[in-house]
Amino acid sequence: MLAYIIRRIAQLVPVLLVLTIVVFGFVELLPGNIIDTLIGTEGIDDPEVRKILEKEYGFDQPIYVRYVKWLYRAVQGEFGISLVTRRPVSLELLTGIPATVYLALVGITLSMLIAVPLGTIAAVRRNTAVDYTAQVTSLAGISIPEFWFAILCVLLFSLYLGWLPSSGYISPFDDFWGSLKFLILPAAAVGFRQAAFTTRLTRSSMLDEMSKEYVDTARSLGLSERKVIFKYTLRNAMIPTITISGLQLANLLGGTVVLESIFAWPGIGRAIFEAILQRDYPLVQAGVLVLGVIVVVMNLLVDLTYSYLNPRVKLR
Amino acid sequence: MSELEAPNLVVAGGSGGSRVLPASVGPMARLATALSNAWYELRKSRTASIGLVMLVLLFSACAATPWIATQNPIKQNYRERLQPPSEQHLLGTDRLGRDIYSRLLWGGRRLVTIALVAVAFGLAIGVPYGVLSGYYGGRVDTVAMRFVDGLLAFPGLLLYLLIVTLAREWKAEGVFNDLILIFALGFAFMPEVARLSRGSVLAEKQKEYVEASRAIGDGSLSIALRQILPNIISPLIVNATVRLGYVILIIAALSFLGLGTPPPTPDWGSDLSSARDYMETAPLIAAFPGLAICYTVLAFNLFGDGLRDILDPRLVER
Repeated sequence: MLAYIIRRIAQLVPVLLVLTIVVFGFVELLPGNIIDTLIGTEGIDDPEVRKILEKEYGFDQPIYVRYVKWLYRAVQGEFGISLVTRRPVSLELLTGIPATVYLALVGITLSMLIAVPLGTIAAVRRNTAVDYTAQVTSLAGISIPEFWFAILCVLLFSLYLGWLPSSGYISPFDDFWGSLKFLILPAAAVGFRQAAFTTRLTRSSMLDEMSKEYVDTARSLGLSERKVIFKYTLRNAMIPTITISGLQLANLLGGTVVLESIFAWPGIGRAIFEAILQRDYPLVQAGVLVLGVIVVVMNLLVDLTYSYLNPRVKLR
Repeated sequence: MSELEAPNLVVAGGSGGSRVLPASVGPMARLATALSNAWYELRKSRTASIGLVMLVLLFSACAATPWIATQNPIKQNYRERLQPPSEQHLLGTDRLGRDIYSRLLWGGRRLVTIALVAVAFGLAIGVPYGVLSGYYGGRVDTVAMRFVDGLLAFPGLLLYLLIVTLAREWKAEGVFNDLILIFALGFAFMPEVARLSRGSVLAEKQKEYVEASRAIGDGSLSIALRQILPNIISPLIVNATVRLGYVILIIAALSFLGLGTPPPTPDWGSDLSSARDYMETAPLIAAFPGLAICYTVLAFNLFGDGLRDILDPRLVER
């Protein structure tokens, strides 16, 4: 197991390399560079000044040297200064991460609470009205764009009924009950789509399990149907569900950009989106990098948990 | 779901009503038989049939747009702003008095075209990439797959956002903007295709027919592309169909954020976004583009789901 973990961590190196090269390359590929911006604001274009500035910012060096230097600073968490707020980029990102994690966690939990029972019932009562309803709802769930669903929710619950605020955020540490009011709509929008995915997944892995021979054995031993399902099949069927939900959680951290901007949720996704609108590229660069690293690490953790839970998985 | 590598699927061809081919027939007859077999299989799945009907409707509407659209989609008319549906404006007008029905048609035509080209592009680079990587194996495979893993590390919309932002900074306009969007969508689809085709190739390459080809003296490349590729095509078709729906959601989300098509080009995502300001007074404006997106994505998902049931015989008994 330890050798497997070490090998898996070693495999991350090339993945992170691709990630950093793409993110670094993004800023390099922008037309012009920071020197143009600086000279543009000063209004003077003197070759002498340009040379000095280029030296100061390291543009006289070849691109791979700059990449290594950038990487060296990035590893230490130094991403430079935000062009808009003039604060360190790392600070801007740190303030956004908790809100995003909060939303993603609640959304995923909500989706599991709905999806696992629904998917299980659909599989157990296969080809009944319950099953068809679950299937149709989940198919609709993955087909409805989440931003449209979010807008419809705002329309109904905020504008017509006036039960919930249409956007905003209160930290749960400041005022827990107050923050719930702001959380419900965004979390429902995140959870709805996830629940649709997870319902389909739970249903199909339950069907898979229920067609296996050990189920027949258990039944022939006289175990009640309830016991067969809850004690045996459901447990096995949960393995893929939990694995995929773990991967989805990682994906959600970067996937809530749209919802965060609809609900004015001060997360990292919205920070990146606003940075794009304001052309604050150091922030965009750092934000994408940080989210990418989080995803990679989460995927690793999910994989390790998976091979721990299911020893039959070949450790490659 | 898309993260799951589909198991090695096999075409369920020979069952039931398939016609048996005579020994020597022309390619046209072969095609006709294949189509009639496909139709027979398709009717067995209710999901696939409904999806197919919805898709046929969608594609017909896209193809016939120049004839069935009643108004100029970008012509503004301030005297007829925010009108409810009427005889002249079948679905009403938007905040600039433009005809929503015509905008939906033109927007859909453009959206579906972009999605189709993008998915085709993703397949065109992903399939050879995955097939060759899986076929050659060894160090080539390791390096190729680590690159793919790196691309998969970008969560959600972020890779698209980076590419679309570059397009904006380079002031890509009109068709260039569309091409970059297509590139981004196809490029982001590539890793999934590459992994899927690689996985299938790894399974197929052990089989005897590959051995036989090698014994006859076929070269590696020819075996990989001419023998193995046709046998792994069905999971790819299923995946591409479902991906079309997803790609449409992504395009709509990008335009909704204001990073897709610049106005006044009709676009479901940006039309939806601008309708938000009039949600209280004229909620119908926001309803139509949303419904159109739902319909389209649902059509692709239904068809893809049905195809999966048909092409994967393991699932048929369910």
